[in-house]
This record gives sequence, structure tokens and C-alpha cells, in this order.
Amino acid sequence: MTLFTTGADSLKVVAIGALQVVAVFAFAPLLTGIMRKVKARTQKRIGASVFQPYYEISKLWSKDEVVSDYSSWVFRSAPWVVALATITAALFIPVFVPFSPFSAAGDVLLVIGLLALARFFTMLAGIDAASAFGGIGTSREMMISSLVEPGLFLTIFVVSLTLGGTDLTSLVGAAARSGVVIAPSMLFGLISFFIIILAETGRLPFDNPATHLELTMVHEAMVLEYSGRSLALIEWSQSTKQLVLLALLANLFLPLGMPTSIDVGLLPLGLGALAVLAKVALISVLVAYVETRVAKWRLFRVPDLLTVAIASAMVGMIFFYL
Amino acid sequence: MNFLPMLLPAIVALFIAGALLPLAFRDPRREAVASFVPAAASSLLTVALSASVLLSGSALRLSSPVVEAIPSMSLSFYVDGIGAFFMLIIGLVSTSVSIYSLGYSGAYSGKHSIRALGSLLNLFVLSMILVTATNNVFSFLLFWELMSLASFLLVVYEHEKETNLRSGITYLVMTHIGTALITAAFLVLYFQTGSLSFDSFRSAAGQLSSFTKGLVFVLALAGFGTKAGLVPMHIWLPEAHPSAPSNVSALMSGVMLKVGIYGLVRVTLGFVVPSSPGDAWMGLLMVVTGSFSALVGVLYASVEHDIKRALAYHSVENIGIIVLGLGLSVVFMSFGLQSLAALALLASMYHSLNHAVFKGLLFMGAGSVLMRTGTADMNRMGGLVKKMPWTALFFLVGSIAIAGLPPLNGFVSEWLTMQALLSSYQVPNVVLQLSIGFASIAFALTLGLASATFVKLFGISFLSRPRSKAAEEAIEAPKSMLAGMTLAGSLCVVLGVLPFVATSAVASAFGFDIGLVSSYAPFGPLTVGYAANGLRSVSSLSMPQVLVITGAVGAALLGFVTVVGPGRKTVTRRYTTWEGGFGALDERTEYTATSLSQPIRSAFRSFFRPHTSVKREYYSDSNHLIKRSVSVTSETREVFEDHLYSPALRAVVAVLDRVRRLQTGRINSYLLYIMVATISLLLLVVLQP
Repeated sequence: MTLFTTGADSLKVVAIGALQVVAVFAFAPLLTGIMRKVKARTQKRIGASVFQPYYEISKLWSKDEVVSDYSSWVFRSAPWVVALATITAALFIPVFVPFSPFSAAGDVLLVIGLLALARFFTMLAGIDAASAFGGIGTSREMMISSLVEPGLFLTIFVVSLTLGGTDLTSLVGAAARSGVVIAPSMLFGLISFFIIILAETGRLPFDNPATHLELTMVHEAMVLEYSGRSLALIEWSQSTKQLVLLALLANLFLPLGMPTSIDVGLLPLGLGALAVLAKVALISVLVAYVETRVAKWRLFRVPDLLTVAIASAMVGMIFFYL
Repeated sequence: MNFLPMLLPAIVALFIAGALLPLAFRDPRREAVASFVPAAASSLLTVALSASVLLSGSALRLSSPVVEAIPSMSLSFYVDGIGAFFMLIIGLVSTSVSIYSLGYSGAYSGKHSIRALGSLLNLFVLSMILVTATNNVFSFLLFWELMSLASFLLVVYEHEKETNLRSGITYLVMTHIGTALITAAFLVLYFQTGSLSFDSFRSAAGQLSSFTKGLVFVLALAGFGTKAGLVPMHIWLPEAHPSAPSNVSALMSGVMLKVGIYGLVRVTLGFVVPSSPGDAWMGLLMVVTGSFSALVGVLYASVEHDIKRALAYHSVENIGIIVLGLGLSVVFMSFGLQSLAALALLASMYHSLNHAVFKGLLFMGAGSVLMRTGTADMNRMGGLVKKMPWTALFFLVGSIAIAGLPPLNGFVSEWLTMQALLSSYQVPNVVLQLSIGFASIAFALTLGLASATFVKLFGISFLSRPRSKAAEEAIEAPKSMLAGMTLAGSLCVVLGVLPFVATSAVASAFGFDIGLVSSYAPFGPLTVGYAANGLRSVSSLSMPQVLVITGAVGAALLGFVTVVGPGRKTVTRRYTTWEGGFGALDERTEYTATSLSQPIRSAFRSFFRPHTSVKREYYSDSNHLIKRSVSVTSETREVFEDHLYSPALRAVVAVLDRVRRLQTGRINSYLLYIMVATISLLLLVVLQP
């Protein structure tokens, strides 16, 4: 049984995978902190420290938990499934180096599948506590996710057509080799992927991560009944998912600074990792800035924006073929 | 000694025993044992037969046991790889359904005849197995009709309900339209080859003109598509499946639809054989109808609140995905892209197997719920995860599988379908490339809606609090039913984690080299090759490795939690959900299936044309501020019934009304008809050169 069939030897593979996932897990809350800070500053507030999400997670970690009598084991297990699926997905994505350690085992479609599994359990948990708030959240998420999925798949379709295949190591490698991607298909793919990421990570104008108002909340409504450690796990997973998706956006569409393969030596790899961090920080500043400029959209206008994402990916596909 | 040729007669004998034995008993319990134990045993034998054919790779031919006085009317059996693969599907599902039926038939004890259910079920499964084993038109149509009639009788099993009779009639009419089209397809082949044997159809495959090919294909697609439930011939499906007893629904949806797919595969790949780019339109037609069916099916399922109807609509969806894969395979075959054709065929057939298993499981789970709560309306369920924990677990497994989420079997076949869609760039025709691109939008939308719908199906039925007294008092299903579901549920896991089992079966059935799409090792990955910008890359998916990695992540997470971050010792308190200070929550404050799907209904309103009417009653007409009652009814329209079938039915009835005027009831006008007919026949004879 050959478990790892890539060129690198398996020890190196596991080391890179472990290092990367630890780094992702460690940096993810920082990214959330930066976004909140930028948002506060553009709104002329001072805002909390960028390390605030870490304090919150450690606070939640030592708090007691309240679990509703009405809920079942599905509610109790959902945060663990979400965390497990998100971290596993993070293992399959080349975040800091142009190499996905386990690309012999799974590709970008597996990543989409794992994130969908996490979402599936979050939605179930929303219903489980029998609260109408959870129902609202799940019901809205059902509509949004059913439109996000085709957008995401079509974007992957465009990327896969342009760069070849669904294997993440070779996709990121191909993107890095082509330098700045100016193929029209990729430009339209970028537009659609950006919209999809806003929806997927629950940012404005789809969802407001900072609200607990029943008119507007989607993700927060689903996890409203959670407290203590379960909530800490969910928040941490949400930050991780955000970092991973933003890194994927940077690595596929803005490959500037990324070395073309893993065999270039430590210095270029380190520089590449720094470049990824810088780009992700830049994109998150952009997202935070967008958040201060737009209002939350009315729920039934959300499909319009998602349709724009789907249409944009479609145009990208047509550009590729013609 | 070779036992193989003895297996098929043994299977037939056992099923016939299962059909006849219950007639000898009077006690419902014994009737059930006498019919379902033989059914389970012979289904297991069917699995053994198909597995041995697939493993040996050689077809099994049986000399006809019936005297061959008229060669074309004899019974002729030939189990090749394709037949064996579909036989495997039938055997696997009917084994678990037969075990399940032992307990499930208890729900009818005293109300309906258990022996009728048992006998018909045996005949139904037997006829499906024989359809996949026949080798000429006569025996094929014979068992096909037997299958249709047995399933019709099972649909109207609860005949005291008028809706069941109506859906039975719809089913009967639609299935016979299908049979007529299939017969027409076979007749065209008969006129070309002068024989009714499948062997001569196969050997003549290369010589058919493109027109004949196209005609046979279209007739077969429409005919078998009616049986499989392709849109727009699907209308019988959401009526018939909910009407039938749930074990029969599991068989109809899991297996009988696959027999329709079997026919389509047999005709398309065996008799028509796409070989030149000119045949690609057939594949495109299947891609278009397949993706359309998938989307329409899942859209209707997403707003449905009757659990069995929702599952039936999901069958339409999954059949769409299967036909989409098959169509891609035909497109690739037409352009000589053999490895891609193998990939798409593998995706399609793998999904057939998967759909049989998880849809069988889901219908069995729905049956348990129906048995214990007495309702199929999800708005009257809820909280069942505590009352029926095992049923809930199995239903969750089925839901994750059908939603196409890792690590279960639905994900693997949908991964393969996606890879086949992504590979369509290799087809050297821009129209086809773009059409397949658009089909993949429909496919992706289907996947998104499917997973949202199963959140609703599982969440509303099993989670939160009971919405009715019946749901509150529900108890776990009997052990035999759980055993049947355990079998199907573990198949979902095995087929997901060890794709090699299914891929090698499909490769052996269709005789392609498994190395085209997968490694030869049992634990090795599925692989698809790509080429772009002069570079080659391989996309791979290895479920055993994914499982190992997930396990490692889980262990690391647990280690992190216990070693690094224990923190303060925390306490978990149990409390009721915060009710906002309004007093105890009752079930009316919960979300229902209808309210949960409201945003989807309004996002796709141009399709559903939702119609909501509010009726208010007042105490007095002068004062409209104080209402006596408010009632809201909300419904969605059936586009196909409103705009296709109703006009067609009206037109047919109008024509028949005209025709009826001929039948005056006066003897002299009938004499006139006879005279006119005779004279015109004589003229015809005389004028003929």
C-alpha cells in the first residue's frame, strides 16, 4: 500500500502538512482580528486589539457550557465535526508553500466537499435546539449555500480549464509559473471567487458577522445556542475557513511571489510564505473596507449577487472556449 | 464442479417458493416469514451469482428450459457483465429490503393481506432479476411487463385510499406508454436484422445506418426514460412511490428505476454503439435531459413536506445525474476518447449502485418513521432522534451519502461525475464544450440544493422537538427493520471508503481496463489525467488515505484539547432553550419544513409560481380589526402537469369525444360502416398493381 505517491518523501510531506496546519490554525484568529481592526478604523473607531479573537477563544474555552434539553447528540457533535472537517480541508490546500502535502489523496473537490460537510452539520445544529432563531439561520443558509455551491464549482471549473486539472499542487504551481494571471477567463473567475468567499465566510453584504439581530443574522443565528468550548471551536473553525479560502484566492489568482515548486530552497519558500501572508492580509483589509462601504442586503436580493458570481464564472468559461 | 449454471434456476425456484409459500399459512407472522425469508435468501444468491460472473469475467449462457418450438418466442437467458452488474444492484438492495420487510409487514397485520404483499414482492424482485438476464425481445418484454404489473399491484396495495388508486392509474398508463416505445425500438431493430434475439442485435450493431441508430436511440431513451423517471416523463414517480408501502418504495426507487437505466445502457452501448462524431448528439441529448431532470427533481424536492414524495423527487434528481454521466460517456465514445468514456461510464454506473443503496436506506428509514408516527408529513414529526435513535442514525447516514458529502459513497460518484464534466474540454467541438459547461451549472446547482434539502429532511423529521402527539409517542422500529437498514447503511460506508470494490465491479462489467481511471491496488486512489498549457497533471482521490488523514487530525485535535488547552474544569449544564421570556416554548414556535424552504421557494419563484392565499374571517363585517380566524394556504404549481400533461390529456379527450360520435348505437349505421369498409378493401385489392 503506497500511502503517499508524490515525489517528496513521506516524512517531509507529513512535516510540511503538520507545520502548515498548525500555522493556519494559529494565524486564523489573527486575521479575524485584523479585519475587525480595519473595519473599526475605517469607521473612525479605535477598535479592539488585533489579538482580541485569541482572548475571546481562551475566555470561551474556560467558560461553562449550557446545552438545551431539546437538542440531541447532533447538536453536541456538530462543533467537532465542523472543526475536524475544516482542519482536514486546510491540510489539503497549499497555503504557504506551492505544495499540497496530501494531493495524492484528495483535490480541490474534496476540499469543497469537506467544507460542505461542515456547513451541513452547522445547519442541522441550527434546527436541533428547537429555537426559531436557529431555524431562521438554517433556512437562510439553505438558500445561500444552494447558490454558493454552483458558483464555487463553476469557478473551480474555470480555474481547472485554464490551469489544468483539480490537483491543488499542480494548480498552484501552474498559477505561479504563469506569473500574474491575465487570462480573461481567470479575471472573471476571480470576480466570482471573491463574491463566493464573501458569502461563504459570512461577510457583508450577505451576512453580518457582528450582529445578533434576527432580521439580519445568518451564521450567527445557526450557532446562537452554542456557548463555552463548543462556541470556541466553531469560531476558530470559522476563522480557519476564512484564512484558507483567502489563501486559495491569493495562490490561484494572484500568484505573485509564490515559488513555482517546493524544491527551490528555504529562502524563496520563506519569502513566498511571507508574500502569501501579506496578500491575505491585503485581501482581508479589502474585505473589511468593502464591509464598511456596503450595507447588509435584503435577504431576497442576495440571490441576485450570487447570480452575478455564477454568471461571471460562466463568462469566464465562454472566454476560455472561444 | 461448476455450480454457476445451477444458480439462476435456484434463484427462480426460491422466489417462486417465496411467492407461493405464504398462501399456505393463515397467520400474518408466518406469512411474512414464509415470503420474506426465501426472498432474502434468493437475493443473497443473486448477489453471489452476479459477483461470480463479475469476478470470473465470463458471461453465463443458459439453454432455454422451455421448448424452442418458435425460436423467437423462447425464453433465453444470458448473463453478461452488464446484466450481472445490475443484478448485483438488485440483489444487494432486495436483500436488505427483504430483511426489513419481516418487521415492516407487521404494520399491515390485521389490516391488509400480508401474503399478497409477500407474494407480489417476490414476483416483483424475480421479474426485475430476469429482465437483466434475458437475451431476446420476447422474454425481455414478458418480464418487463411482469415487473410493471407486480409493481402496479403493490402501488395500489393500500387500495382503500382513493389517492393511491389514482396514482396507480397514472403509473399504469405511463409505464405502458414506456413499454410501447420500447417495443417500437425493438421492432425497428427487428426490421433491420430480421431477428428478435439480442445476439443478432449485437452483431448487427456496426451495420446500422445513422438514421436507424438515431431512431432506436430516441425511442429507447423515451421508453426506458419513462421507467427511470426522466423529466418530463417523471410524473408518475412522485405519485406512485409515496403510495406504495415503504419497503416497495425502497425497491421501486432503489432498484426498478435502475432496471430502466439497464435497458437504456443495454440499447445504447450494446445495440446502437456510438462510434463516430456524428453520434455525439445522442450523448448531448442525454446530458441535456439528465441535467434538466436533476435540477427539476431537486427543486421540487426542496419545497416538499411529505417525506416520501421528497425522496421520490430526489430519485428523479439522481436518475438525472446517472443519465448525465451516461450521456457524457456517449459523447466521449463518439469522439474516440476511450479513457474519458470509461471515466464517465464509471461515474454513471457507480452512482447507479450508490443511489440504489442510499435511496433504499432512506425509504426504509422513512418507512420506519411512517410506521411509528402514522404520518408522512414532516411538519408533524420532529424529535425522533431521541425516540428512534438507530433509525435516525441510518437516515443521517443516507442523507450525508445522497447529499454527496465525504466520506460516504455519494461523494465518490459525484467526484467522478465532476471529473467527467471537467474533462469535457477534450471534446473537439465548441458547441458540445459549452453545452456540457452549462450542464455542469445545472449539476452544481443540483448538488447545492440537494444538501440543503437533506438538512431539511433530516432536521425537520428527526431533530428539535416533536410537533405532534404521534411523534412524541413514537418508539424505535423492530429489530429486523434495523437489521435491514444496517446492511444498507454499512454498504454506504464501504462503497464510500473503498471505491475499489465498485470501480473493479464496473470495470469488469463493461470490460474496460480499470487502470484508465484508478490504480490497480485495492487501497489505491482514483486518478484522472489532465493536460493544459503543455503540462500534465493527475487529479486523484483516495478515500482510505482521506480517512487516515482525518483520523490523524481528529487525534491531534483531541490531543490538543486534552494536553495543551485543558484550562479550567468546565461544567456542562442542561437547560431548556431560551424562550425569550414568553413562557415555555411549544412546537408551534418551531420552524417547519414549509417555513424552512420558504427562502428557496421565493428565490426560485419563477419556477415554482408559489401561490399563497390568506383567508380571514371576522366576527362582524363592520369591524375588521378583530379576526375570528386566519388561515393561510400556500402551494406550488406542478409546471409539467399544468402545461404539458393537462393540455395533452384534454386534447386526447376532445379527439375521443369526436370519435365517440361514430358509435351511434343504431344497427343500420354499423351496417353502413361494414359496407364502406368492405368496399374500400375490395377497391384496394383491385387497384393494387
